[in-house]
Amino acid sequence: MERKAVRNLRLCTKDCLCLYVCPTGASDTEDSVIDVDRCIGCGQCADACPSGAISLVPVKYPRQQEKDEDVVSSLMDLAASRARQEAIAEAVGESGDREGLRRLALAIARSSRISAEDLVREAGFMLPQSDGAIDLLRSLVENPPVSFPVESARRLVSLLERRR
Amino acid sequence: MKYICSICGYVYDEEAEGVPFDSLPDDWTCPGCGAEKAMFDPQEESGTGLAGSFERHVSGVATMTKLTPAILSIVFSNLARGSGKQYQGEEERLYGEISSYFSSICDGEEADLGMLQTLVAEDLAQRFPAALESAQERGDRGALRARLWAEKVSRIVSSLLSRYGREGEAMLEGRQVWVCSVCGFIHIGDDAPGMCPVCKVPGWKFDSVS
Ligand code: SF4
Ligand code: SF4
Ligand SMILES: [Zn+2]
Ligand SMILES: [Zn+2]
Repeated sequence: MERKAVRNLRLCTKDCLCLYVCPTGASDTEDSVIDVDRCIGCGQCADACPSGAISLVPVKYPRQQEKDEDVVSSLMDLAASRARQEAIAEAVGESGDREGLRRLALAIARSSRISAEDLVREAGFMLPQSDGAIDLLRSLVENPPVSFPVESARRLVSLLERRR
Repeated sequence: MKYICSICGYVYDEEAEGVPFDSLPDDWTCPGCGAEKAMFDPQEESGTGLAGSFERHVSGVATMTKLTPAILSIVFSNLARGSGKQYQGEEERLYGEISSYFSSICDGEEADLGMLQTLVAEDLAQRFPAALESAQERGDRGALRARLWAEKVSRIVSSLLSRYGREGEAMLEGRQVWVCSVCGFIHIGDDAPGMCPVCKVPGWKFDSVS
């Protein structure tokens, strides 16, 4: 399976061993993001890094597991409720003059979004390049709602298809 | 008698503490996660109290959810995050743009704290048990995991809202509000917790709300 190295910038402690061992110079970039065009996926950098900041990820990911319809609908019900909670909490956060409540409400809004994202992930929208995600984008391109960013969606589909 | 926190699993042992659980003041909170007293369940001596209390039978709550703009905004912001994790910057940006589009066409909601509390309570009473039933039936481990984390996060939200109802602004004065970027757990305190009590990530995964 073809792989590429990626660096987690939050874990990187700039010990630079990856620069010493990389045979192609892919790991030495001005923005610290490993150059995918140069990387040959040999894994030397990941083995050498003392901070566990580099991992090798597949270029193409496996198909996702099939999801049961009842499981999907019960998780989506929860996500829909969370979506409303996010919107209400945002409205609370933006109204009024109580500083503590404002921060608590914004925290609840953020928390609702994070949790809803996790639920939809388990309801079948895990991988950005999965069939389900691409089909959804295609159907939006074919029947776009008013002022939907069609060109962006089209571009996204073409990027994703390359990685499927 | 022992009482166990339904969010982080902290056990309050009356015998060891020397104070009956019922006599603790109303503003006492869980030393493990900050949840209020109401989030504790008595621990049955037989040992399986926690699991047992979840096994209420609920039927027919689930209906096939329509992909509303609100849901689509979440689906796409989640896919943006997924692209980010795979270091696909352009995909991340495009998914993000589509997510923002759907947020912008959502019906607005009123700033109604009571409604917020009602929705959280409905989730805890109906939607979480329904999701538990379907995920258990299919043996879907991923769904069981996401559901459990989300349920614990709902409990802390419910707990914080009722504490705010009692204590008001004093509860938050001079304290930071932290959100776990992985599961959404909320912590109130000067610093982020060492570890998330729900999903167990280290403290640096928390962001404070300003
Ligand atoms: S070896 Fe690891 S810590 Fe050092 S620069 Fe490379 S990624 Fe960062
Ligand atoms: S996997 Fe090999 S080529 Fe790619 S960055 Fe690491 S050392 Fe360099
Ligand atoms: Zn607790
Ligand atoms: Zn967490």
